[in-house]
This record gives sequence, C-alpha cells and structure tokens, in this order.
Amino acid sequence: MWIALVITHGLLAFLLLGAITHQVVSVWAPVRARAANFVARYRAVGSANYANAVIVLFVANALLGAVLYTNYRISARLTLEQGRYWKSFGAFEIKEHLIAIGLALLPAYWYFWRPAALENTRTRTALTSLLAFIVWWAFLTGHIVNNIRGIGT
Amino acid sequence: MTKQGRLGTFVVVFAAVYSAMYYFAVDRNWALFSYGPALGEWKMFAHAASAGPTMYWYGWIATSAIVGGVAGLLACLLPQGWRDRVWPGFAWLVPVCAIGAIGYLLSGYFTR
Repeated sequence: MWIALVITHGLLAFLLLGAITHQVVSVWAPVRARAANFVARYRAVGSANYANAVIVLFVANALLGAVLYTNYRISARLTLEQGRYWKSFGAFEIKEHLIAIGLALLPAYWYFWRPAALENTRTRTALTSLLAFIVWWAFLTGHIVNNIRGIGT
Repeated sequence: MTKQGRLGTFVVVFAAVYSAMYYFAVDRNWALFSYGPALGEWKMFAHAASAGPTMYWYGWIATSAIVGGVAGLLACLLPQGWRDRVWPGFAWLVPVCAIGAIGYLLSGYFTR
C-alpha cells in the first residue's frame, strides 16, 4: 500500500509542478503578441485557469504526504540519520515546514487570483512565485530522499 | 489606498499570522497534539510517544491554523478604515520571513 501511495503522491506532485510552473512563467513573462513558438505558447497560457487546479493538487499532495510521513518517520528517516545524510535530512525537514507554510498561502493565493482582485499584480506574482518555490523544493527533495531510501523498500 | 473587503483582510491576516505562529510553534514546540507513529498513538499537546519517535508536525499546523483563523476573523471585525491599512503584501512577506527563520533554525544540518 505504501508503494502505491508514494507513486500516487509522485504523480500528483508532477501534475502540480506542471501547473504551478506554467502559471509562474506566465506571470513573470506574459506573452503580449500572438504566441508563435513552443516557448511563447508555454508562456501564453491563461494563468488564472490554473489557480483552482493548483489549490486542489497542493491540498491533495499535502494530505497524501501527511499520511506517508508517518511511514517515513519510522523507516526512511532512520536510514538518513544512520547514514549521516545530513544535507538531505535537513532539506527534507525544510520541505515539511515549507508545505505547512504553503497551506497558509492558499486562501490568499485563491483570493488574489479571482477576477475581482486582478489589479493586485505584485501580490499575486509574489504569492505564485513563493508557492512555485515551495512546490519545486518539495518535489526535488522528496525525489532525492526517495532515491536514498524509498518508502516500502 | 485600496478598499480592503472582509475576505481580503481575512486571507492576508491568516497567511501572515499562521506563518509567524508556525515559526514559534516549531521553535518552542507548541503542538496542539502529538502523534506516535510506531503505536498509532495520539496525545494532546506536546508529549513524547510511549514508544518510538514522536511527530509534532500535525500539531504545529493545527496550532498555527487555529491562531491564524482567529486572528483573521478578528481582523474582519475591524472598521473599514483600519482594514484598508492591512497591506496585501503581508500575505507573502511574513511567510518569506518565517521560511528564512526556519531555514536558520535548521542551518546546522547544512554546516555539519
């Protein structure tokens, strides 16, 4: 069951990574003219359409991660400690805190992506960028730690 | 100065207070409850599990969410003039500061 959960967690994280990266690229480098090539089309997505998907995927990932965390705490974490993988260990500790703070951002992120609040460009860009940083950190750290000692192995 | 609605005030204050509170919850271990994964044991507040490791993370989130939620609701009750002074940027600036402070708390793992 743990392996199925960790694979589902990874797949959902991949979807979330795609959605938030699309959105953060489009807020930092919006395309004004008609998109002509792949990169321009990547930047030209309707960023507001991603907000609800990002929220649902973030919450689903956090919940799955919270369930998996119990197994990590009694198995994989011991391997990291015994193997003295302190940087990976520390990066994963930071990941858990980033996810907790990411949850706090979601209501504001949702609010500032509503059509009625679209004039708050700076706040919306900052919240989206911070959320993207959190998602990227969590994805990479989870991947690295799972490579050191995968759950269920 | 832009007019700040009650919902706008709530989300900004919630993000800011939750994040600040989360830092203090981690630093001082103000967990609303604790969990021992070895025995599936839940305890109120920060108490070590009777066997195996103890997880406080869920409890820190609960503490921060409650404090952030109450602060957000109280901020909604403020008069319009006061609510207009709540800078929307607090919604990301305070979390960034909390992340920096937590990174500092854990910096020992990267300097060993």
